[in-house]
Amino acid sequence: MGTEVLAVSVDSVDTHKGWQEKELSQMVRGGALFPMLSDSGGRIGALYGVYDSDKGLDQRGRFLIDPMRIIQSMEIVADPVGRDISEALRQLRALQHQQATGDYMPCGWEPGKPTLSKEQSQSGDIWKEWKTRHAF
Amino acid sequence: MSATVGKKAPDFTADAFDHGEVRKVSLADYRGRWVMLFFYPADFSTV
Repeated sequence: MGTEVLAVSVDSVDTHKGWQEKELSQMVRGGALFPMLSDSGGRIGALYGVYDSDKGLDQRGRFLIDPMRIIQSMEIVADPVGRDISEALRQLRALQHQQATGDYMPCGWEPGKPTLSKEQSQSGDIWKEWKTRHAF
Repeated sequence: MSATVGKKAPDFTADAFDHGEVRKVSLADYRGRWVMLFFYPADFSTV
């Protein structure tokens, strides 16, 4: 996977430090394993379309950015709902597999399930390879 | 410039708290690597 994680909120680095020491270190030994960026004024959030200027907060946005710095995936979830990392990791695996092989990953793909060639994915014959059960 | 799938990710630089230290982090530092960039409303909230 070889992927770097960057966390961003409008909090100051001092608040990040306080959160790290008071709470995160209680959840994960040593605290967060990735940099926590201070998005003063929501400048970065605004660039990514996730800054809510009424609340002065960044929304729960998640972006997968490839080695050429192209955005390959994005998701934004409403404040009250925490995220599930497994779907982000599945997309990351699929995107990395796609870039390595050129294959297309049909609905519900995860490692071990069948992939399609680019030609197959546009052939009208996907039904021969992909069954409804592969979606679940 | 806004974020769009298939387009260049907007660059940024910011102060970051990282492994006990404060340092500058830029997206450009990660060229050649996959990056998962995530935003959340506030510290002491449900990430």
